[in-house]
Amino acid sequence: MKIRQDSIATAVGLLAVATVFAAAGWLRPGTVQLVTFVLIAIVLAQSINVLTGLAGEISLGHAGLFGIGAYVSGILARGGALDPLLAIILGAVGGGAIGLMLSYPAGRVREVYLAMMTLGFGMVFYEVIREWQDMTGGVMGLSNVPSVVLKNLSLLGVRIDGGDYLRFVVVIAAALLLILRNVSQSKLGRSMVAVQANAVAAASMGISPAGTKRLAYGISGVVAGLAGALYAHLVGYLGPDSFGLPRSIEVLVISIVGGLGSITGQVLSAIAFTVLPERLQAFAEYQFIVYGLILACTLVLMPKGIAGLLLPAPRFIRSGSKRRADIATKGAGEAAPWFLERPASSSVAVRVDNVTVRFGGLVAVDNVSLQIMPGRITGLIGPNGSGKSTLVNVISGVYRCTSGAVHFGPRLISGLSDVNIARLGLIRTFQDPRLVPSFTVRENLLLGRSRLWKHSAIAAMLGLPAATDDEGAALRAAEAVLQQTGLTDVADRPVETLPYGSMRLAELGRAIMACPDVLLLDEPAAGLSEPEVARLSEILRWLKTGGVTVLLIDHHMDFIAGLVDEVFVLDSGRIIFSGEIEQMRKDPDVVAAYLGSEELEHA
Amino acid sequence: MNFFLTLVLTGVSVGSVYALIATGLNLSFWTTRTLNFGQGSIMMLCSFGFAFMVTNRVSLPVAIGVCFVVSALIGVVVERLTVRPALKRGGGSMGWVVSTLGLGILIQGLAAKFFGSQAVAFPEILFSVRDSVRIAGVAFSLQYAVVIAITLTVILSLELFLRHSRLGHAVRAVSEDAEFARVQGIPVDLIVVSSFVASSLLAALAGLLAAQIGGTVDSSFGFDLVLLGFVAGVLGGMGSSAGALFGGIALGIITKLVGGYISTAAEHGIAFALLMLILALLPNGFFGRNEVRRA
Amino acid sequence: MLEASDLWASYGAVEALRGVSIRVEAGRTTAILGANGAGKSTLLRSIAGLSDLKKGRILVDGKDVTSVPAHRRRLLGLGYAMEGRRIFREISVEDNLKLAWSFGPRRQSLSLALDIVYANFPILLDKARQPAGLLSGGQQQMAILSAATISQPRYLLLDEPSLGLAPIIVEQIYRYIGAFSAEFGTAVVIAEQIATLALKVSSTAYVLRRGVVVLEDESAKILKDGVAQSLSSQYL
Repeated sequence: MKIRQDSIATAVGLLAVATVFAAAGWLRPGTVQLVTFVLIAIVLAQSINVLTGLAGEISLGHAGLFGIGAYVSGILARGGALDPLLAIILGAVGGGAIGLMLSYPAGRVREVYLAMMTLGFGMVFYEVIREWQDMTGGVMGLSNVPSVVLKNLSLLGVRIDGGDYLRFVVVIAAALLLILRNVSQSKLGRSMVAVQANAVAAASMGISPAGTKRLAYGISGVVAGLAGALYAHLVGYLGPDSFGLPRSIEVLVISIVGGLGSITGQVLSAIAFTVLPERLQAFAEYQFIVYGLILACTLVLMPKGIAGLLLPAPRFIRSGSKRRADIATKGAGEAAPWFLERPASSSVAVRVDNVTVRFGGLVAVDNVSLQIMPGRITGLIGPNGSGKSTLVNVISGVYRCTSGAVHFGPRLISGLSDVNIARLGLIRTFQDPRLVPSFTVRENLLLGRSRLWKHSAIAAMLGLPAATDDEGAALRAAEAVLQQTGLTDVADRPVETLPYGSMRLAELGRAIMACPDVLLLDEPAAGLSEPEVARLSEILRWLKTGGVTVLLIDHHMDFIAGLVDEVFVLDSGRIIFSGEIEQMRKDPDVVAAYLGSEELEHA
Repeated sequence: MNFFLTLVLTGVSVGSVYALIATGLNLSFWTTRTLNFGQGSIMMLCSFGFAFMVTNRVSLPVAIGVCFVVSALIGVVVERLTVRPALKRGGGSMGWVVSTLGLGILIQGLAAKFFGSQAVAFPEILFSVRDSVRIAGVAFSLQYAVVIAITLTVILSLELFLRHSRLGHAVRAVSEDAEFARVQGIPVDLIVVSSFVASSLLAALAGLLAAQIGGTVDSSFGFDLVLLGFVAGVLGGMGSSAGALFGGIALGIITKLVGGYISTAAEHGIAFALLMLILALLPNGFFGRNEVRRA
Repeated sequence: MLEASDLWASYGAVEALRGVSIRVEAGRTTAILGANGAGKSTLLRSIAGLSDLKKGRILVDGKDVTSVPAHRRRLLGLGYAMEGRRIFREISVEDNLKLAWSFGPRRQSLSLALDIVYANFPILLDKARQPAGLLSGGQQQMAILSAATISQPRYLLLDEPSLGLAPIIVEQIYRYIGAFSAEFGTAVVIAEQIATLALKVSSTAYVLRRGVVVLEDESAKILKDGVAQSLSSQYL
């Protein structure tokens, strides 16, 4: 029986929480304070883990978000104005709000601009704190915050001492870790990693890169703000120097050493870096030099940090959902092809009307009109540079056409974003496999389900039954797809370890998971061996029986000939033939386009 | 009116230094699409080092020479050890942002250890603070004037170099299509390293000039400047020389006006607000080309 | 003589070349044919030093140049017009030519070299100061060929020079290639998807299919037997 790593982590975590709880009353105040510091550091490190580890965004000003939480909570709670518990919540909310604000340009500008912005934010925050004396006490700092140190903290009217606060913080930290693990193993976490790996591919499955990044910034801000608020009510005094660039650097170092993407790694790293300076006075002096060295070298030498060295790789599917899936399939027999329940349609699946695409002076697609009939497999072929990929990019919304229109069923889609077109059920694949390399086949397949999820983000974060049921259903569907693609044996291996052909099949599987009405396949047979091509043909025939409309671009003539009902031939951006493939082989225009005309005598 | 004019002239002078930094950032951006996040440490190291050497009676040319040589070496180290390995590994922008930042912090840490982290007064090299000239009835410090002259000369020379010299064309070629440049016989690796060296030299010069007009250097000196240089670059359009000049001077004037009429403390805040505004409304800056959305 | 021996190379995650060997004699033109994805471009890239070879050697006049970095190969006499009409679009036509001349083995003076280019393609003189990206496809290809041949290379690699061009322009380009190679004894390798064109100007042809050479023959013979006859099964 496999002991899942999640169960071990949960068990260890619960044990730790119980120990701290019990010991809180017995430890010396100094130790109590240290442990509380450690817990706060753990929370702060987790905020970076979400933003950088999952979503891949760099923040160089996280001390600012930490500080927002601290000052908001401290100022509001001072003098008994607001109950500290409420103030803490507001501090977290404040952090989240600012995080969202910072993320506004996300998805529209290069990553590095966002990184610079976070750096700028951190520095401006520091200056604002120093200058805005009335609010924050300026350089003298904010004092008299209801806190453990000042022995004047009470939550909801109940007097809280050091030991109580420790229990309070450890419960919050534990709950937070559980929630973040849920995030990581839910559609939210998987989307973030997918967007980091390849934003265009994520969009092609209906995942919005901008929306996903904003969510990451928001969650990160809330968690950092929470850490700050908890800090404020521990120490009772807030000085600007605790919230400057050095703090941002420190948090970044902790995260990177811990191993981005690993919750456990962050915990270990936060403990180490909080405890060490206490123990090693000398370390404090050389702190910056050491931090600098760590940052300069780690991502190159030890990219996965402690987690990479000691822990198994984090996984992105929660055990609860797996159990639901198992329970349901036991005795269910063969999983029914779920998309056979599709209303029969007699209208045109995709209609391209007079589409022209111009890039500067170059006309890539020249006044092309075609109709893709529903429930059939249609081929789109043509020599190199004929405009096939451009046309597919226009249909799927990656490019805008210069003129003309594209309809998907009755709906006008030219002008919609690629994300929205995918969400409507028009799914495409790419010429090169764009899977998330570190995800297993199963995890990649779940990404395909993105447009069909029924549960909300909150359900995902809290691991509610709505989420596990939905994911369980998705996992069952994934089983069917794994069987059809022949990948059942490698389902739990990271795709980067698989041979090329299997990667292509996995990508097709991911597209199938989206239950598409129309599937655009860009050279699916390229690089596949003969048996793999045979399996690919089988899969496409299976899709056809399910009523899926397929547009197939490829050069592999034998492969296409056996499959397509009708074919369009493009040359230099124009359609030069449409009809059945047997006719196409004999058509003089087509032969000339590929092989050159025999009449090129005067060369 | 005098006050206004003084602020504007100061702004132009300070802004020209920002333009210089932005130009330096452009250089490495052209060839590798990366920025040295630790650039500030070069400025800080040079300023502290120069002040230290001059107060210890090292002659001017030697002091300047040492600064430039050390900066150039740092440029090589940045490219070889922090940027190139990160780019080779792929994985988006994370690697080199963190590693260049790390190197910068390391250098800053070492400098702080050696020079101490107290603020230091910067020696008067270009004229004295009191030397001034009257323009439109306003006393305009000669130091400022010289700074403007130096930065304009450097930026214009660079632009001429890029437009009209063989090596300048080679740099533009590498910027556009590095692989094809290789095929044409251009030593791409050498050019990339050189762009980082040039970028560091510009940073060193900018640091020295900023320290001169600022009068003192402290430990946050470099980071502040790099950030402002970056805002200037984004304002004008990343990758454009004209943009760097425009962005720098515009930023300089705006921050000084805000500093004069509202509060000096708000100077950085307004720069940051400008950054957010530009990224939200006009992400390519005023002169930039479409660097923004990648399909 | 240019020789590629048992080349194994990948393009991205695909194994694009699986043991390909070709020989090109000085003064002769060799055609590399095959459908899209057959490995033609990867073959040319490998000869130019842009692709990492898993196995195999490249020999120029008997000397092993496999480990020579790509940017030094021009000095060995290699000229390469890449797939996709690659030229520096932001730089003017004349500056492109100057750049190519400047970083190659300068066998003649710049002014002489430019005169020859403009004599061959007068339209380039008209467009000399314009950024290369603004030229039409055919004009760009003329500029690209001129740049690739400006140092009188001894080995010329051409990747789909006819791509997307009107027949008249293609004619002009192929005439130029023929004349050039005859005058300077250049060994020319032309990769084309459109077989007839390349077959007419070459003496030998190799047909690639999925990274392997499936046919090696005299071009004249293939033409005589009928191109469509011999090759359409490989393509269609």
